[in-house]
Amino acid sequence: MTEAMHLVLVFEDDPGIQEILRMLFDANGFRVVMADTAARGEQDARLHRPDVVIVDLGLPDRDGLNVIGAIRAWSPVPIVVLSARTAEAQRLAAFEAGADDYVMKPFSAPELLARVRAVMRRHVRGDLPMGILELGDASIDLGRRVAHRRDGRELRLTPLEHRILETLARQRDGIVTHAALMTEVWGPVRDNTRALRVYIASLRRKLEVDPSRPRHILTELGVGYRLVVDAASQAAN
Amino acid sequence: MPEGFGLVNIIMIYLLGTTLGALRLGRMASVALAISNMLAFDFFFVPPVFSFDVEDIRYLFTLGAMLIVALVIANLMVSIRRHREVADSRERRTAVLYAMSRELTVATDAKAMAAVAVQHICAVFHSTAIVLMADAHGVLKSISVSEDSFDIELAKEVVARGERCIKDAIYLPLRGSRRVKGVIVVCPQPAGRSLPTEQLNLLDTFAAQLALSLQRARLAEAAEAARLSEERALLRNTLLASISHDLRTPLTTIAGAGSLIAQPEYALNVDRRATLGRLIEHKARDMTRLLTNVLDLVQIEFGGRALRSDWHTVDDLVALALRGCESRLAQRSIIVDLPSDLPLISVEPTLIVQILSNLLENAAKYTPPGTTITICAAACEERMMISVADDGPGFPPGDPERLFDKFYRGRSESNIVGVGLGLAICRAAANLHGGNIRAVNNPGGGARFEISLPVSARDS
Repeated sequence: MTEAMHLVLVFEDDPGIQEILRMLFDANGFRVVMADTAARGEQDARLHRPDVVIVDLGLPDRDGLNVIGAIRAWSPVPIVVLSARTAEAQRLAAFEAGADDYVMKPFSAPELLARVRAVMRRHVRGDLPMGILELGDASIDLGRRVAHRRDGRELRLTPLEHRILETLARQRDGIVTHAALMTEVWGPVRDNTRALRVYIASLRRKLEVDPSRPRHILTELGVGYRLVVDAASQAAN
Repeated sequence: MPEGFGLVNIIMIYLLGTTLGALRLGRMASVALAISNMLAFDFFFVPPVFSFDVEDIRYLFTLGAMLIVALVIANLMVSIRRHREVADSRERRTAVLYAMSRELTVATDAKAMAAVAVQHICAVFHSTAIVLMADAHGVLKSISVSEDSFDIELAKEVVARGERCIKDAIYLPLRGSRRVKGVIVVCPQPAGRSLPTEQLNLLDTFAAQLALSLQRARLAEAAEAARLSEERALLRNTLLASISHDLRTPLTTIAGAGSLIAQPEYALNVDRRATLGRLIEHKARDMTRLLTNVLDLVQIEFGGRALRSDWHTVDDLVALALRGCESRLAQRSIIVDLPSDLPLISVEPTLIVQILSNLLENAAKYTPPGTTITICAAACEERMMISVADDGPGFPPGDPERLFDKFYRGRSESNIVGVGLGLAICRAAANLHGGNIRAVNNPGGGARFEISLPVSARDS
């Protein structure tokens, strides 16, 4: 088990939150390194080569966004932001700096753990192959661009809907920003937010069991979308 | 000489001529006319005729009396005319002043008032004008739109001395209650034309009228500021009182539960610890929601913040609100009825989600388990109507509008958590989008909130 123990590096200056995070990760088979300043944490990152990094944006010596950029400059290690900053613009800035996920304070411990595990899974397995995507009672063959329902009923997705779904599926469980999604689907031409919203709504109507309460294609306000394949595990969080 | 007509009648005809002449002529001309009439009478009618000589000495008296009567009449006629002219011009002055003061009353701020004054001065005096007002630091700044140049040093001098000054333009002081607050610079067109005294006096009256209105605007501004600061003070006090109460209650639970868990000698079993843990989490989340509401309200009320709108589907916003309230709505059944052809709306999404969440939270708080909550939307012309309705007990008796007051609680002194800010925020956020929200009793029983938003929100 020991060699399988993952190392998590936490940038956090509040002793209370440090304690909670330490307990959470200890109890779930992680080794934890705590850094209460950006400078200290960056040293630790180079020294310990963590499997995942958790960054609080409000560090005493430097802004967390800066830390994310600095780590991204030399390492693809998954980074989860843990912050009390709730404004959309700040969340978006974190993603643009290279963060993989964003958990808002106050956080729920199981949710944080689930997000951390998800970014690590994605990191290990890399981009997903164009396999078959199972969402609720729908089954979509991303490679061949064919979709049907389990009960055999027909399911027609337009080519653009296929492309959006593909892009989301490659990052499954992770957030795809609006900008990234639009570039993938339409190319780097123009702002197409309105069209994107319409396509997402249409995809939900086709794929979600209850489109008014989506379980698979989730909106991350002001940032982008997240495709959750295993809706049951997400709901449990 | 026609015997039957008589000299007396001829004298009368001459006097009539003098009188009629004085109706139209000026003073000097009237006097000249009176004298020439007298001489003409002497020349043509007084024997010997066709000569200025007078045979009978008594005619001298006649001629003298005739001259005096003619002069008096001429004089009287001229002064009557003068008076009428003065009355006319006074009436005109009153009319133009009245026209300006009526428009000044309608104007609400200094800029609008200056514009009104400039426009009237332009019409009445055929001049252009610039209104300069001293700002908070006493620096004169133009508050009217004009490309005319003026002498700032001269304007400063007028402010300092408080007296009219005429150079190539006319500088008139605008007096406030204690000191001169500004200057109005009037440039008669074409440049260099000078105005008669009467017009200058009228201009003074115009300046005084404008100064009075500006004074009124300043007072109104000050009163509004005082009212706002009073309202803010009230809001702050009530906010502090409610927050200290409503934060202390969950904090008590959290501190109590924490201290229980922290005591190893109590040897709490796993189940009890889990219960306490959940209690702490639950209360902390209540506090977070409360804090979000307070922060939002403070931002909207005090921040004067601009909207960060973007196009969104109503479906998405409703889904986000439902996702946020999922656990608290577990025992209510939710019906979402959104037509698939709803247009997108341009809104600040967090605020709309906040409105919907607050309404859903309220429904969860004030209705018994098993209640059905229905969310509908419909687009009507350029507006989007979203309604959140339940089939619960409905609103307490009284005006449902009161629910939107800050710190008003539908059921006071209850154990329901909150500070009565939820609906106040809903209203503030809806208004910020140029929309509104109202509470109505559901026809079939229960409470119903209707949000109306412009499809494309303009910052209000």
